Amino acid sequence: MNRKFFKTLSTLEYLKLNRFEKFVYNLVMFFARIPKMILGLFIKIWNFIKACGLFVANEVKDFFMTFIKGTWVTRVSYLVMGFGNIWRLQVIKGLFFLAFEVIFFVYMKTTGFYWLGKYKTLGDVGMHREYNEIYDSYIDVPGDDSFKVLLYGTLTIVFILAFLYTWRQNIKQNRIMDEIVRSGKKVKSMKQEAKDLVDDQFHKTLLALPVAGITLFTVLPIIFMILVAFTNYDGSHDGYANLFTWVGWDNFNELLHSAGTNNNLSYTFGEILSWTLIWAFFATFTNYFLGMIVAIMINKAGIKFKKLWRGILVLTIAIPQFVSLLYISKLFSKSGIVNGMLINWGLIQQPIEFWNNPTSARILVILINVWIGIPYLMLIATGILMNIPQDLYESAKIDGANVWQQYTRITLPYMLFVTGPYLLTSFINNINNFNVIFLLTGETVANPKLNTSGGSATDVDLLITWLFKITTGATNNYKLASVIGIMIFIVVAGLSLIAYNLMPSTKNEEDFS
Amino acid sequence: MGGLSASRRASNTLIYIILTLMCIIWIIPFVCILFESFRVETTMQVGYVIPKQFGFDNYINLFKETDFPIWYRNTFIMGLFVSVIQTMFVLMMSYTLSRLRFKGRKGLMNFMLVMGMFPGFLSMIILYRVLSRMGMTGEHSVIGLILVYTASSGMGYYVSKGFFDTIPRSLDEAARVDGATRAQVFGRIIMPLSKPIVIYTVLCAFMGPWGDFMFAKYIAHGSSKGMNVAVGIQYLIDKDNMRAAHYTQFCAAGVLVAIPITILFMCLQKYYVEGVTGGSVKG
Amino acid sequence: MATVKLTNVKKVYGKDVVAVQDFNLEIKDKEFVVFVGPSGCGKSTTLRMIAGLEDITGGTIEIDGVVVNDLQPRDRDIAMVFQNYALYPHLTVFENMAFSLRLKKVPQDIVYKKVTEAAEILGITEYLTRKPRNLSGGQRQRVAIGRAMVRDSKVFLMDEPLSNLDAKLRNQMRAEIILLRKKIDTTFVYVTHDQTEAMTLGDRIVVMKDGFIQQVGTPEEVFDSPANLFVAEFIGAPKMNILESKLVSENGQYYVDLFGKKLLVDGKKGEYFKTKAVKAQDIRLGVRPEHVKLSDMTDKSAFECTIEVNEMMGSELYLHTVTPNGDKFVVRVQTINISDELRHSLNYGKKIYVTFEGKAMHFFDKAEGKNLINA
Repeated sequence: MNRKFFKTLSTLEYLKLNRFEKFVYNLVMFFARIPKMILGLFIKIWNFIKACGLFVANEVKDFFMTFIKGTWVTRVSYLVMGFGNIWRLQVIKGLFFLAFEVIFFVYMKTTGFYWLGKYKTLGDVGMHREYNEIYDSYIDVPGDDSFKVLLYGTLTIVFILAFLYTWRQNIKQNRIMDEIVRSGKKVKSMKQEAKDLVDDQFHKTLLALPVAGITLFTVLPIIFMILVAFTNYDGSHDGYANLFTWVGWDNFNELLHSAGTNNNLSYTFGEILSWTLIWAFFATFTNYFLGMIVAIMINKAGIKFKKLWRGILVLTIAIPQFVSLLYISKLFSKSGIVNGMLINWGLIQQPIEFWNNPTSARILVILINVWIGIPYLMLIATGILMNIPQDLYESAKIDGANVWQQYTRITLPYMLFVTGPYLLTSFINNINNFNVIFLLTGETVANPKLNTSGGSATDVDLLITWLFKITTGATNNYKLASVIGIMIFIVVAGLSLIAYNLMPSTKNEEDFS
Repeated sequence: MGGLSASRRASNTLIYIILTLMCIIWIIPFVCILFESFRVETTMQVGYVIPKQFGFDNYINLFKETDFPIWYRNTFIMGLFVSVIQTMFVLMMSYTLSRLRFKGRKGLMNFMLVMGMFPGFLSMIILYRVLSRMGMTGEHSVIGLILVYTASSGMGYYVSKGFFDTIPRSLDEAARVDGATRAQVFGRIIMPLSKPIVIYTVLCAFMGPWGDFMFAKYIAHGSSKGMNVAVGIQYLIDKDNMRAAHYTQFCAAGVLVAIPITILFMCLQKYYVEGVTGGSVKG
Repeated sequence: MATVKLTNVKKVYGKDVVAVQDFNLEIKDKEFVVFVGPSGCGKSTTLRMIAGLEDITGGTIEIDGVVVNDLQPRDRDIAMVFQNYALYPHLTVFENMAFSLRLKKVPQDIVYKKVTEAAEILGITEYLTRKPRNLSGGQRQRVAIGRAMVRDSKVFLMDEPLSNLDAKLRNQMRAEIILLRKKIDTTFVYVTHDQTEAMTLGDRIVVMKDGFIQQVGTPEEVFDSPANLFVAEFIGAPKMNILESKLVSENGQYYVDLFGKKLLVDGKKGEYFKTKAVKAQDIRLGVRPEHVKLSDMTDKSAFECTIEVNEMMGSELYLHTVTPNGDKFVVRVQTINISDELRHSLNYGKKIYVTFEGKAMHFFDKAEGKNLINA
C-alpha cells in the first residue's frame, strides 16, 4: 500500500488524490482516529467521575461550612427541618419540610427498617406448615413475600435518598437565606415565591406532573426490573409460595454462555438477536429507499394527479395498523384467500404454509412491512424534497448534470444528511417493532430448537416479542425477561452511541443550509 | 427537442404504470376486507373475495355475540382521556425544554433519552402487579391503561419541541418586556401559535389506544370486558381460542374500527403530515 | 424619563466566554445613547442586560436609582424594539400594540386612545385591523415601535431596529426615528452595528469591541478625536487610512516622516505635542480619505500613489491607491472640484500626488494603537 495514506495530508495534497485514493485515505484516517475516539471516551468518563467527586466534595464542604458559619437558626434547621423557613416567615414551606421529616421518621420506624432488614435475602421464611390450635391440625401459614420485600425495600431506599436530598435542600436554603439577611436584603415572602412559580420558576410548575409520571411509571419500574435481573424471580419462585433471592450475575451468565443440550438459551438468544438486527436493517432501509423513490416519482415535474396518488397512500396510514396487519396475516394463512385462489387457479394442490416456513415468513414480514412503511416514508421524503433549495438543481443542471447525477449528487446526500437522526430512530423502532411481527405471525409455530425454559420462540420472533412471550407464557420467567430487556437496552444504546459519533448532522447542523 | 419530450413521455408513462399498480396493491386488502365483512354464506375463511350472498349478518352478530361494543367503548374512553392528558404532558414538557433555561435541563434530556432506550414493556411486568393490586387491570383495565399510556408520555416531547424551537425566541422576549410572566407567555403567545402541533399531538394521542396491542393485552389479561379494540379483534381470530368461525365478524369489526379513524385522520391529515415531516428532520 | 447607570457590568457565558467587561456608563435623563460596534462586541448583550433578558454576571444596573439586577423585565418599566420586530403573528396590529396594556388590565377606552394616538404618529392607522404577515417590512417596524410607544415607559431600548430593512427604507426610517424622538421625550438606548446610524442618531456614542468600551463621546468627539485605532477605523466611511510613520521633532517643531518626506504638524496638534513634550517615536498615522487633497509633483509635501480602482459614487470618487511602500490608501475626491479631463484620466495605473494638512492627521502609538493626543 502506498505510503501516502498513512500520514495526515494537507488540503492541497488531499485534493491531488483520485476518488479511490481519497476513499482509502478516509478509511485509513477513520481507523486511525478510533484509538483517539476511545481515548476521548475514557477522558470524558474520567472527567465525569472527577466532576462527580468534586461535586460530592463541595457538597460535604458546604454542609459543614454552613453549620460552622451559619446562624443559630440555620443550625437548628439541621435537626428540625424547615425551622429556618418558619423563623423567616415562610411558614407553610417550613411546615412542609417539617411534615416530611416527621413522616419519614415515622415511616422508617414503623415499616421502613422492617423491609430493609429483609432486603439482603429478600425474605427468610416462605410459606410453611404450622400447628394451629383452633383447627388442631397443621395448616399453611404465609411467610415473607419476596416480591413485596423487593418492592417495598427498593421504595424505602428511594425514600431515604429523597429524604437526604430534601434535608440537603433544607440546609442549602438556610445558607442562602443567611446570606440574604447578611447582605441586608429581605428574604422572599411565600407570596413572592408562589408568584415565581408562574414566572422565574415556571419550569418547576410545568415539569412537576410529567416528571412525576415518568418517575413513577418508567424510572422506578425500570430500576425494579434491573434488580429483578439479579434474582431468580420466575414462575417457580413466585416469592410467595417459594421465596426468590439474589443470584448475582447468574442470569446473565446463563443467557450468554449456557452450553449443553438441555438448555439452549444462549443459542436461542443468539439466533433471535441476529434475526432482530437483520430485520431492523432490512425493515429500515427497504422502506427508506423505496419510500424515497415513490416520493420522487410522485413529485416529478409533469406527473399529474399528485394529490390522488398521495391521498391513496396516506389512506393506508389512516386505517389502524392492527386491522391491516391482522387481515393481511389472514390473507396468507393456510386457509386464506391467497392459498384459496392459487388452488382455484390450479397453480398448487396443497396450501402453502407461508407463516410456518422460516424463510417465507421472514421474507413476507419484510415485504409487508414495506407495504406498511412506504406511505410514511413517502410523506417524510416529500417534505424534505420540497425543502431542497431549487437553485442547487439549477446550478447542477448548468454544470451539466443529468437526472441520475442530480439524484446521486444532490438529492441522496441531502436526504441522508437531513434524515440521519431519523434513520437511527427508525432502526431502533424496528428493533422494538412488536406490532408488525406479533400480529402478522400469530400462526407461526414455535421452532423446537428455540424452545427454552423461558418460553417458545418462532423463527420470526424479535427480542421484544420473545420478551412478551416469556412474560405472558406459562412459566412467567420474569428474571429472564429482565435480562433480555437489559440486553435490548445495551443493543440500542450501543447503536446510538456509534451512530451519534458517525453522523455528520448531529455535529454540524449548519453544513447544508 | 422532439426526442427529449418523447423520452420524457416514456418515463412518465412508466411512472404512471408503477403508481397505478402500487395504488391497486395498497387498496386491495381494504377492498377485500370490506367484501368479506358482508359475506353471509360462511363465516370461515374461503378462497374467493366477492361473497356469494351479501348481508349484514356479521355486523349484527358482532354486536349480539361478542363484547365488541364494550371494546369499542373502552377504546373510545381511553382515546379521550389519553388525548387530553398526553397532550398536556407533552406540551408542558416540550415547551419547558425548548424555551426555559434552568439548571439540569441538559441532564434531564439525556436521562430521558437513556430511559427511552429500555423497552417500554419491561416496566409493564411490575406495573401490572402493582396495578392489579389496586384493581386497575383485567375487567377494569381502562383506568390502568390510561395511567400506563399517559404517565410517561412526557418522554415523547421530541416532535413538539422541534416545533417550539422554530418559534422565534424574540417573541417570548417581547412579551416579557411587555409585562407578561412566563406563564402568560405560554398561554397568550405560544399556545395560540401552536395550533398545528397541538392538533398533531391530540391526533396521535387519540389514535394511540386504538392501535396499541402489547400493553392492552397484558393489562387486560384475558378479561374480555377490559380489552381495547386491537386486543379484542385479535381475540376473535386468535388460534389459541379456536374461534376460526368468527373470521367474517373479525372483518366486520375491522371495518367498523377503520371507518371513523380514517375519517378523523383524513380531516386532520394536513397537521399530521406537518408533524411527521417536521419531526423526522429534527430527529 | 429616567437615568440608567451601569457600574462594572460584566457578562460571562458558561464558564469562561466573556461577552461584556468593565462596562461603566451613566445615561442621563432623556438622552439618546447609541451602542455601536462590530458583531460579537457585546453591545446587544449589554442592552439585553438592561432589559432583563440576560442575567448579569457582575456589577449593577440601576434605572432611576433603583438596582434592577434581580427584577424581571416586566418590573423594570422598559420598552424594547427588536431587530426582527417580534410581532405576535396571531394578533392584529391593534392587539399587538395593546398587548402590554391588556396585561395590565387597562380599561378599553384608554387602550383605544393610546393605541390610536401612537398609530396616528406612526401613520399606521389604516393597518390597525391587519395581521402582521400582511404588512411590509417598514410597516412592521412601525408597529414594533408603536408597541413600545404605548407603554410610556422610562427607558426605550432598540436592538438594531433598522438592520432588517433595505437601504432606502433604512434611511427613511432613520430620519423618522429622529423625528419620533422629539415626540416621545424619553431615555433611548439604541444598538447598531452601522456607524452612520450611530453618528446621525446619538447624543452620545458608545463604541465597543470584544466586550470592552473603546470610547464614549458625542459624534463629533468620536469622529474628530478617536481614542484609538479601532474607533478611528470603525467610525467614518470609507474608513480612515492608516500608514506606518515616524514622529520626529526638529528645532522645536514636530514633523511626520512619511516616505522620506517631512510633513509639518501644525495647529492645535502641534501645540499639544510641544506643551506635552511628546518624544519622537514610531507611530501609525491616520488620515481620513475625505481629508486627502489631490496635488501635483511641484508640491514638496505631496507623495505619489498609484491608482488600483476608481469607484464612481456620483458626486464623488473613491480612489483606491497604493502608496510607495505598498500600503492601501483611499482618496475621496469631490467630482465637482476637478476637471473632466482629470476625472477621466484617474484610471488603473495612473500615478497621482496627494497631500493633507496637519489638522487632518491622527497619531496613534505603534504598540497599543492609542491616540497620542489626550492619551
